[in-house]
Amino acid sequence: MGVLSGLSFTSGETAAKTSRSLLVAVVVTQFLILHASPADCFDAISASSESGEEDIRFFETAVRPLLHEACGKCHGEKTQWANLRTDSRSALLKGGDTGAAIIPGDPDNSLLIQSVRRTGDYEMPPDKSLTGDQIAILEKWVKMGAPWGLKDAAVKDSREIEWSTHWAFQPISKPILPAISATDWTRTPVDQFVLAKLAESELKPSPEADRRTLIRRVTYDLTGLPPSHEEVKAFLDDSSPDAYEKLVDRLLDSPQYGEHWARHWLDLARYADTKGYVYGREENRFVHSWIYRNWVARAFQEDLPYDKFLLLQMAADQVAPNDLNAQAAMGFLTLSRRFLGNSHDIIDDRIDVLGRTTMGLTIGCARCHDHKYDPIPTADYYSLYGVLQNSAEQYVRLTPVASPESDNEFEKGLQERLENLHNEIQKHYDIAAGRVRGKVTDYLIAQTELEKYPDVSFSQILSAGDIIPSYVHRWESYLRRSWKEQDPIFLPWHQFAAIPKDEFAQRSPEIVRMIQTGDFPAHPLVISLFDSAPASMREVAERYGQLFAGVENEWQTLIIASKEEKKDPPTSLSDEDTEALRQVLYGPLSPCALPQEDGIVGTEFFFDTGTTIALWELQKKVDQWLIDHPEAARFAVRMIDRNFIQEPRVFRRGNPATKGDEVPRRFPLVVAGEDRQPFTIGSGRLELAQGIVAPNNPLTPRVWVNRIWQHHFGTGIVPTPSDFGIRAPRPEHLELLDWLAQRLMESGWSTKAIHREILLSSAYRQSGSGPEDPQVRQRAQEIDPENHLIWKKDAHRLTIEEFRDSLLAVTGELNLQLGGRGVQLFNGGEEARRRTLYGNIDREKLPNVYRIFDFANPDLHIPVRSETTVSQQALFALNHPMLAERAQALRGLLSQDPEASEADRIRLLFEKVFQRLPSPEEFSATAAFLATTVQNSVPKPTPKQLAWQYGYGRVDLSSGKVMDFEHLPFFTGTAWQGGTKWPDEKLGWAQLTSTGGHPGNTNDRAVIRRWIAPSDLQISIESEIRHDVAKGNGIRGWIVSSQRGVLNQFQLHNNVLKTDLSSLTVRAGESIDFVVDVNGELGFDQFEWLLILRSQESQVAGDDSLRDWNSKRDFTGPLANALDPWSQLAQVLLLSNEFLFVH
Amino acid sequence: MTISNHLQNMLTRRDLLTRCGMGMGTLGLAGLIANPGETIGASKQFSEKLPHFPGKVKRVIHFFLNGGPSHVDTFDPKPMLKKYEGTAPPVSLTTERKTGAAFPSPFEFKKRGESGIEVSELFEKTAEHIDDIAVIRSMTAQVPNHEPSLMLMNCGDSVLSRPSVGTWVLYGLGSENANLPGFIAMCPSGMPVKGGENWQSGFLPGAFQGTYIDSKHTQLEKLIENIRSPHATREIQQRQLDLLEMMNRRHLEEHQDPRLEARIQSFELAFRMQMEAADAFDISQEPKHIQELYGDGVHGRQTLIARRLLERGVRYLQLWHGAGQPWDNHENIEPQHRKLSGEIDGPIAALITDLKQRGLFDDTLILWGGEFGRTPTVELGGSGSVKYGRDHNHYGFTVWMAGGGVRGGTVYGGTDDFGFKAVDRPASVHDFHATILHLLGFDHEKLTYRYAGRDFRLTDVHGHVLHDILA
Repeated sequence: MGVLSGLSFTSGETAAKTSRSLLVAVVVTQFLILHASPADCFDAISASSESGEEDIRFFETAVRPLLHEACGKCHGEKTQWANLRTDSRSALLKGGDTGAAIIPGDPDNSLLIQSVRRTGDYEMPPDKSLTGDQIAILEKWVKMGAPWGLKDAAVKDSREIEWSTHWAFQPISKPILPAISATDWTRTPVDQFVLAKLAESELKPSPEADRRTLIRRVTYDLTGLPPSHEEVKAFLDDSSPDAYEKLVDRLLDSPQYGEHWARHWLDLARYADTKGYVYGREENRFVHSWIYRNWVARAFQEDLPYDKFLLLQMAADQVAPNDLNAQAAMGFLTLSRRFLGNSHDIIDDRIDVLGRTTMGLTIGCARCHDHKYDPIPTADYYSLYGVLQNSAEQYVRLTPVASPESDNEFEKGLQERLENLHNEIQKHYDIAAGRVRGKVTDYLIAQTELEKYPDVSFSQILSAGDIIPSYVHRWESYLRRSWKEQDPIFLPWHQFAAIPKDEFAQRSPEIVRMIQTGDFPAHPLVISLFDSAPASMREVAERYGQLFAGVENEWQTLIIASKEEKKDPPTSLSDEDTEALRQVLYGPLSPCALPQEDGIVGTEFFFDTGTTIALWELQKKVDQWLIDHPEAARFAVRMIDRNFIQEPRVFRRGNPATKGDEVPRRFPLVVAGEDRQPFTIGSGRLELAQGIVAPNNPLTPRVWVNRIWQHHFGTGIVPTPSDFGIRAPRPEHLELLDWLAQRLMESGWSTKAIHREILLSSAYRQSGSGPEDPQVRQRAQEIDPENHLIWKKDAHRLTIEEFRDSLLAVTGELNLQLGGRGVQLFNGGEEARRRTLYGNIDREKLPNVYRIFDFANPDLHIPVRSETTVSQQALFALNHPMLAERAQALRGLLSQDPEASEADRIRLLFEKVFQRLPSPEEFSATAAFLATTVQNSVPKPTPKQLAWQYGYGRVDLSSGKVMDFEHLPFFTGTAWQGGTKWPDEKLGWAQLTSTGGHPGNTNDRAVIRRWIAPSDLQISIESEIRHDVAKGNGIRGWIVSSQRGVLNQFQLHNNVLKTDLSSLTVRAGESIDFVVDVNGELGFDQFEWLLILRSQESQVAGDDSLRDWNSKRDFTGPLANALDPWSQLAQVLLLSNEFLFVH
Repeated sequence: MTISNHLQNMLTRRDLLTRCGMGMGTLGLAGLIANPGETIGASKQFSEKLPHFPGKVKRVIHFFLNGGPSHVDTFDPKPMLKKYEGTAPPVSLTTERKTGAAFPSPFEFKKRGESGIEVSELFEKTAEHIDDIAVIRSMTAQVPNHEPSLMLMNCGDSVLSRPSVGTWVLYGLGSENANLPGFIAMCPSGMPVKGGENWQSGFLPGAFQGTYIDSKHTQLEKLIENIRSPHATREIQQRQLDLLEMMNRRHLEEHQDPRLEARIQSFELAFRMQMEAADAFDISQEPKHIQELYGDGVHGRQTLIARRLLERGVRYLQLWHGAGQPWDNHENIEPQHRKLSGEIDGPIAALITDLKQRGLFDDTLILWGGEFGRTPTVELGGSGSVKYGRDHNHYGFTVWMAGGGVRGGTVYGGTDDFGFKAVDRPASVHDFHATILHLLGFDHEKLTYRYAGRDFRLTDVHGHVLHDILA
């Protein structure tokens, strides 16, 4: 301590102004204190200073090597079994889980000595005992007072120096632009930094990329999309000097910019639309994920200042309580995995995401032990744990209530469900509290055997009569608080509890005497409990229990009496002392009551299992209504501060069962310095957020500009964008990083300002080819192969989002609709044309294609995506319908102009895919490919299958026409329907199978089986339709010809209807629709419908097979389309490296 | 260079690939990872991680009896239960549900093989190989619930999202055959509880996750995604790939980047995968006596496919029993366990026989077990009624290992007299994992991956190799 104590008086503020290194030195002192109490430190110092040289020599030559050799592997720097370290004196004095390892001067009572003698509870080292001589050395050393050399401190000093000088913890410098002679090349300050570094290494930058490359590069970087051929042409033709600047501005202004950069952020925020694995009682989908996703996209597009962007995501409830839309921002915290409801893991996930995303601090590493590398003590982890533990989740409605409420189906349904939920929760809160009040004795006895009660009780199925472990722990923290506050009710309890078990009978009379003589304040009624000495802690619990049972009895009698007398219910007991006891059972902080701000989410483990399931089912009904109802109001899930704040305790080794010291909630030391004060506002979440964006926090702006740089250059200036700790070496371009960070703050935290600084630079506009001079180029490749000095622009491989969006963009199919709920991207239909950002991210059932193409794992914060090249990617590209359909769409574009020659079409194809013309070589190769066509003999659908289509729409009653026919988008393998889930969000229960189906939920979602005449025919139709449920109001059906209108119509309820239409003339292409709707009311509407169509005479010359169609036999899923030569060619272009890489 | 020249060169290249079968081992990690996560100098890091010492085995097959097989009814005989039948044993531990009296095994145990290890009639065919098996009777997990225990057994952590064992192994060793997925999880008729999380890649690249195969199917297209084109014949695809390579080569001339070459190769490999996968899954190519050896049930077929995959260099295979949790017999355990073991006992024994006769047994590691065991006490219904089943038990249960480097005919550790809790040399799942890695040639403390500021391991900060079961 001596060396460091001088620093600990340095005020944080001064330190911040003068030198941050001082501040970080202070961090070290704090860090050490956590290992050893000041007394220990003093002890250590005095012992060593008093020790003679001889003692030290003995220690250094005999003891230290022995400790290292025999104990170090399990109790050293790397591993600390039972929390014990043997590599410093203070650590030995502090000891491990079972107490001090040495008592200087007293070898017999030192655990270390007992263990090596193998006489105590432990036998150490476990596999091989020490020799007698070795044991003697240790005994002698302990007897001597355990002198320790000073080298130990020296080791810590080196760590201190490392922390105090680590670049990322220093204040952001105001870099002076390097003095280099301005050249034609340096357009912006970024270039000056880059060029200066290049010059130091005698390197030169690469020449500017050509304009086509530039527009492709910058368009992808900002929007994730390719430029259209027209956009490329316009840029090539724009000779104005600011053509490029205009381009950058246009792209920054586009909504596609917001979408693309939102996805970068979502990788950090481990975004998903589902909670990961949950039990069946709980809805697996979030009600609010998409709201958060859209908020992020909008924030980027509007260039919301980055500091505000962060503040809102952590504390919108306090920063902007009146701005409803801003509440959506808190999805950042609330979209964590559910971890089966284990709050410790939920909080851990939030700490990890928060620390790494905003400050590049891997705080999560300190959950079980002090951070191995960085100055983040475990206590700091639990400070943040406390902030989040004291924040509860809350649903916030963002859209106003539709009025009048009662007429609106959604509002009515929501109201009902919410009422059910709230009433039941309130009821069960009361029942649960009542049960605990009835069992105070049991809960107090449980305090004497806490190890029997797991901290998170999901591992047990509990019934109503059981002691509920979560309540046991609620009592535990209540009692702890009572101790801290010296509550006279429980002071005697704590006095008794402090007696070791085997001495209880012997020592309890002394406590009784103290209680009776008023040595410490005790509640009068409690004093009277202890007129005799209890024999055990159990008896103490029983006496308390009886006391509380009496109070409860008195209170209930009073309530009943007031009811009988029809008086207002009582609010308190008249006797002050009894009332104080009643407060333990009924007060706002009572360990019997549950916090009112929680619904089921924070309290599920306080109930018996049956109740938990029942309450979750009600919550699920609310959630499903909000998710599935087409007119659902939008909700966000935010965090709010709890009413009653609980101080966090360290969990030793991260284990909530072994609680350690209480720690204040406050900002991490590494940034805030030793003078930091505990948070004072509510949970402290707001102060935490403010600390993150505080001007003296050097990490936040550095981390953010580095991420922006990373997404423009492929690698960050700091290559570990979410770890700015000790293991991130000083980056080559630290001055540039700092300049950008300063620029960020000066610009009012404008992300777009940083984009401009980077994108307008010559550094960014370089080609990927390297410096023109071959010698310089070779030198660059030799001394800086990884391009840290930025002498060229590296190519970017498209991500899965960019790849998929590009496929749709070049075929002109991309649907640029903004926002909305997550959709299924790979099942065909209109949804499959949305941008990949809008794909539904199911943590549990993420389609393989995401993983294959290196999508960010939605369970984790992912700062850098992997980039793998595997054959499964190629298999997808070759064989998945997604690619084949795009190739066919391109082929469709080529045929739009029937006059176009083959050469025109080849050129058009290259323009669409690559935004350029083919080279002569490519031209002849593609022409040759087309010239030598090969029969594509993949199995074709039968003509009978081709005759049928499966869709939905409605019948216009006045005209008798089928309107709004759309194909059902998804095939399950046996049924056509709206999507993977049934009912589908949009199409409800609409479904067609080989034998029948189910209409959609409303009359305009009728299901339609369509038959199309392959040629002019004379046909008959045999129809048998069955609806066999008595419930509900039945269905309506029609048979409608596109030429002649309604051929037949009927209503059917629990009945069978057979009809034959004989001799009907149909024309080629005419459709006959077989339509069923719900008859105005959804419920019990499934039906079977068999249809057989026969042609009377074979008008299809020579094809007997085309004489009958059978709705059951011909039923089929999606029909594969054989690629024709043009589509084959188009696919090749889509598979090419040129398409997948941006230079 | 003219186009025809280009085409000529490519065709020869592809012919070469096809004929020589290439040394694909090299394509394992080095080929797969271009830039893994936050690590720097990835390829270098990778090569350092090749086995730390020569491993005894090259590949692993794990029979996963999801739901939790009862150890006291299979590999851990407890005669004491008979003595206490109908009364509560002196030891009783809290599990998920309430249990009551001691429930003696309804199955007959016999000493088997020269080692005389007792195995019940449920696995009597497997027991014929008992002298090749090391039975670990003191395995422990952390909680008596399926989800966390599945995660612990498969990914080394009960709760957090961590890479699965197969992913770590593939990450460490790469695939021997780039034409097939290196890590395959087969489960007939649907997924086990927690689905794909059981074979997730966690923070390791997605390419290392297990490929799920629903072994109920027999058609290749349904077994492996995108393995065949519904749109074009192989001949047409070959022509497309020829043109593609020409265009990619031309592009490569202008842009120097190893990733471009890697992607060109990936198409060649994909093309070959279409053929090789078809071959690997086609068990009709097996002679009749081999098909009979495995039996014609879905598990026999699944196990035989597994052998064909092992032979072709698939690194890690998991064979799950079925969708959901079939072994979770809370009631009527006698008929249920009998039926389940009847489905896999024969195929497991067949696999051991077959691997031996092919000389593959000595460099393959066979694992058997579930996510935990079951209580020796009988499960009680709501009203205290007896359900003739057993609850989950994580305090002590049995797994076994066989194959290269494993000391056959060994019993490691043991549970108390009733089979409730591991008391003799309790082994953690981390120990189990450390031992698996050891057999593959890895020091489990050194097979690491840098993520979120830490060097993560499969065994976190735990795990000791169970040296006593090593040959």
